[in-house]
Amino acid sequence: MFKVLRDLLRYNREFLFGSLLIAIILAVVVASYFAPYDEMMTYAVIPDMPPGSEYWLGTNSRGQDMFWQLAASMRNTLIFGIVVALISRVIAIAVGLISGYVGGKTDQAIMAFNDTLGALPNIPILLLLVFVLRDQMTWPVLALTAALLGWTHDSRLIRSVALSLRTREFTRHAAFSGMRTTQILLREHLPYVMPIVFFTTMNNLIWAIGLEVTLSILGFSDINRPTIGGMIYWANAHSAMVAGIWWWIAVPMVAVVMLFIGLFLLAMSVNEYIDPRSRLARMGA
Amino acid sequence: MNGFLIYVAKRFGQLVFVVVTGVTLAFLIAHFSPVDPVEQTLSLVTSFGATDPRSVEILRQSLRELYGTEGSLIEQYFLFWGRVLRGDFGPSLSAFPTPVMTIIGRALPWTIGLLTLATLIAWVVGNTLGAIAGYFRNSRAMKVVGLFVMALQPIPTYISGLTLLIIFGFLWPVLPISGGAQLNLEPGMTWAYISSVIQYGTLPALTLVLVGIGGWFISMRSLVSNIVTDDHVVYAELGGVPSRTVFSQYVARNAMLPQVTGLALSLGNVFGGAVIVEFIFNYPGIGKLMVAGIYAGDYSLVLGVTTFSVIAVAVAVFLIDITYPLIDPRVKLG
Amino acid sequence: MRLFTKIALAAVASLLALPALGQDFIAGIPRNEALIIQGPTAQNADWFNLWAPGGGANVNGQQQLTTDTLWWINPEGGADAWTNALATEPPIYNDDFTSMTVKLREGVYWSDGVEFTADDLVYTVQTQIDHPGMGWSAPFSLNVDSIESPDRNTVTFNLKAPNSRFHTLFTVRWNAAWIMPKHIFEKVEDPLAFNNNPPVSLSAYVLNSYDKGGNWAIWKLRDDWQRTTIGMLQDTPPEVKYVVYAASGNPEARVIAQRNHNLDVINDIAPEGMFAIMKDAPETAAWLPHFPFAHPDPTLPSVLFNLQKAPFDNKDVRWALALLIDIRAVALGSYRGAANLSALGVPPTGSAPENYFIPMQDWLTSFELNTGTQTIKPYDPTIASQLANMVRNQWPDQIPTDEAALQRSFGFGWWKQDVQAATELLQKAGFTKNGNQWLKPDGTPFEIRVMVEGDAIPTLARAGTAIAQQWSQAGIKATVDVAGPTNGQRLGTGDFETAIYWTVETWGGHPDLSFFLDSYRSDFIKPAGEIQPPRNLQRWQDPRLDALIDRNRSLAFDSPEVVALGIDYLKLVVEEMPMIPLMAYNKFAPFDTTYWTGYPSADNPYAASGPNWSNLRYMIVALQANPNAPKP
Repeated sequence: MFKVLRDLLRYNREFLFGSLLIAIILAVVVASYFAPYDEMMTYAVIPDMPPGSEYWLGTNSRGQDMFWQLAASMRNTLIFGIVVALISRVIAIAVGLISGYVGGKTDQAIMAFNDTLGALPNIPILLLLVFVLRDQMTWPVLALTAALLGWTHDSRLIRSVALSLRTREFTRHAAFSGMRTTQILLREHLPYVMPIVFFTTMNNLIWAIGLEVTLSILGFSDINRPTIGGMIYWANAHSAMVAGIWWWIAVPMVAVVMLFIGLFLLAMSVNEYIDPRSRLARMGA
Repeated sequence: MNGFLIYVAKRFGQLVFVVVTGVTLAFLIAHFSPVDPVEQTLSLVTSFGATDPRSVEILRQSLRELYGTEGSLIEQYFLFWGRVLRGDFGPSLSAFPTPVMTIIGRALPWTIGLLTLATLIAWVVGNTLGAIAGYFRNSRAMKVVGLFVMALQPIPTYISGLTLLIIFGFLWPVLPISGGAQLNLEPGMTWAYISSVIQYGTLPALTLVLVGIGGWFISMRSLVSNIVTDDHVVYAELGGVPSRTVFSQYVARNAMLPQVTGLALSLGNVFGGAVIVEFIFNYPGIGKLMVAGIYAGDYSLVLGVTTFSVIAVAVAVFLIDITYPLIDPRVKLG
Repeated sequence: MRLFTKIALAAVASLLALPALGQDFIAGIPRNEALIIQGPTAQNADWFNLWAPGGGANVNGQQQLTTDTLWWINPEGGADAWTNALATEPPIYNDDFTSMTVKLREGVYWSDGVEFTADDLVYTVQTQIDHPGMGWSAPFSLNVDSIESPDRNTVTFNLKAPNSRFHTLFTVRWNAAWIMPKHIFEKVEDPLAFNNNPPVSLSAYVLNSYDKGGNWAIWKLRDDWQRTTIGMLQDTPPEVKYVVYAASGNPEARVIAQRNHNLDVINDIAPEGMFAIMKDAPETAAWLPHFPFAHPDPTLPSVLFNLQKAPFDNKDVRWALALLIDIRAVALGSYRGAANLSALGVPPTGSAPENYFIPMQDWLTSFELNTGTQTIKPYDPTIASQLANMVRNQWPDQIPTDEAALQRSFGFGWWKQDVQAATELLQKAGFTKNGNQWLKPDGTPFEIRVMVEGDAIPTLARAGTAIAQQWSQAGIKATVDVAGPTNGQRLGTGDFETAIYWTVETWGGHPDLSFFLDSYRSDFIKPAGEIQPPRNLQRWQDPRLDALIDRNRSLAFDSPEVVALGIDYLKLVVEEMPMIPLMAYNKFAPFDTTYWTGYPSADNPYAASGPNWSNLRYMIVALQANPNAPKP
């Protein structure tokens, strides 16, 4: 594992740069646990101060230090994204492995359902749900909904690998030696799909966070809880852009772009690493 | 041709399945809404006047009769299906008594136009650049382009839209930032109107293109770089076929096919992006309608737009799916 | 690769050529003849029937520019706040208020050349009585027993019961019962299903064109504008030839549009947007020429309590919550200090300062509150100047130093934050403190949910956040709920604990409080869970209040006793604290003077300043073209 990491860092500049960006973001998230004031507190500092030596990232019109706001928001947004990614991974792996292993009519039926869900436009469904639930739409509910909508593409990928594993010798051996289906899937097949799972997790994280940002900006989430989208929402509520408080919008925007590009580069380089042809080409072999 | 028919029938079955699921989902979500359409209308109607409490009671009574929210869940579900099939989502609450379908009908051309144009541009440009980048893998210029395009891709639609709005509407105000066309212009096939629509559509379309281009670029590049090492391409190059011909006939053509499938799969997401773009640029399409409906608490409008967009996206996917075998005869339609 | 470079060059070149392609903002209408006003997005743009329920297209300019009725009240007050429009004199009641007679003006014509007569007025009332779904049907049916019209200029309404306020149905502050064109509607089978497109006009402007998508509507000055009640007030033709109502997107897009001179009148933006405009764009005018710039609407944002829910039914708890508020922080949080505070139960706008606030200052200052342990005088008349001092650094030279001027901008005073008194009051009510957490008499933690509407009214959402924070710091955990579109419904059904909203709204230009007070009578109050009709959403019930309402109903509208009664009501609100009045709803409505000048202001308050208000017509005909405007 360490060797893999070392190889990646040494030969893959994308991976290096991506890790660097993610490390910065994680450092900010860790910092959030050392915030000097309650993250919900308004008018804790002088409002509207531009970035400088005293306030690194400036302060907003609600009298909050942008650095600490960003830290708390980044933490909450990341947690949201990770929860979505985890739940949807569990579903995607389960559906993909089972569908691929069982095959035949069951596989067809599962995939028909899979494609149906995948074909539904997410945003209108989510907006309808937001409209209906309103302040019951807390972040765990939103995360669960997003997870339920966001696994179909990945389960199809996993299934295609599982399908090929089904006919392999070792699967048959395992089956003959009396392993139960769940054991075969978890012990024998799961390791083979892990690279795909890792790669799709990054993409799913990006998607989930993008969703959170979008809904919060529109004001369709809990405004009490600091998030990246929520920061932009409050900035809009104070007309920060035309009022010249540009850092209030720029800070979350830059942070989210950093996070996304970081995740994206990681996903891409891992994907490349999985494909040995391009790995060899890169190492100059 | 028989195989083609079976293929179409299968796809059609899937279309029906998607539509039924989507409509049922929309109905169920909306059914458990805490928003009471009658009270919503009342608060819209009585929000400003000096309203006599007794008169509100009378108004409430007549609205209850109009909306008819009686019956069991199953009865209402079938009633709802009847209305969906007739294309009748009832009157909009915030635009009473205009039917929801009329409002959707007005907004629809804007969204279709914007989406078709932006998706096609993103698809063509993204794939072209991706193919070039995959073919000339060692070109420094293409690496720079690749980096730039890929950096744009993960940025949320809202953020790229807002950035464009700030740049071209505020810092350097050269493009209109709000609306679909110039004021007081008669819609029609006139040059003045069309050019105005194009101008007003530039920033919204550009936003969608910027966001969409990266995905096509990346997948096309990896597809092409895989094909380039295929035997038949290597033979062609060794056999002295001009590199332009190799690129267009041997490489790009083969790589195109999966990208057409991708186009169908991406529609749902692109539609989501359009919601945001229309909201930012006050563009008179379906997405803005939906957000406005939510803000206004317009129950029937929100339900109508959701149901309609589920159906519309499913139909669009179906249409792209059935053209696929026409492009790729290898799909042995069975 | 060469091809690629060419494409890139072409793209850059075409981008640079964009400004040359720039179109006029409006096609076919000279910019310097048009006034552009922020309008709504109307989904039912084809619908011009104002008398059917929910005719949402009406704020597109139709109700502001083409309608008329009997009387108008300028919400800003002043000696001539009352205007006789289609009537020639104020309403004439008989002694016991069972009939009202109105004398009508001659020489007023509909835009299609038909003359306005008493027939139109009679038709308006009778048709709506006959069609229960119509907008003003219910109040007409409830009040009117019979209508007589002895001649073309006289109409007498015989009322079912004495009502000294019947004329308010025809008196415009924001809107009122508009007169229907009899000659159009009598040909229609169902007046509820008729879209009235194109509408005839009874006022100085008539429909020119509109967008079927509802994004704009353009109104044109009538050739015979003199033959309208508003034209009769004018010696010279109005200079605004076209009025354009254009949907203008979100607040930031509006500010940008105005900075690009494509939007002359903005309805409302965030305070920060207003400040940015006032600092960077010297061509902008506002209601006040200095900070806080805003126009105070005659509505009273307050902390509403659901009085049917414990512990908010306890006066001591309500007073304790009021004394935990530091109003200066609320003013800063919601309006950046640009708030017009009110400790009384009416908004401090229009004629209210003269009628109520100034006369009651002594009473307020000596008002005593018993906390159970001591007696305090909670009122602090200096709060307004404290608030002014807090923002003076940011706005040097902008804040008046004169006490009277300060009171006009920042209000008269408020309750001083007094945590000790609040503690005593809570203890008096049986609450106990455990660490920094207040416990209710039953031992459970005292937690409060504060409902705000959210995006539609961001300043009030911000006020709610500030208040929730102060209560939380005092040991009462308060959370903000964003109700969004369900706000009205939740207020109506009583599905809230506390809310930041207004249930008091006044004429502004007249001391009579019937505008809201009449609906506060206890017979309208519903049990919890059932829908409470507007406006007594806190469901305040008090025999003393009922007595006041009954007295007001038997007083003539212009009786001097109206003010005395109003003062009694205000004292009762202070004692009972059924809601915590906060401030006037300050609206930030900047005007671009590049093309038009002469907008209303605090110094010349000849009209209200909101684009949705019908009174806007008085502003539109008074505007003058700016001689320095860019030539087309």
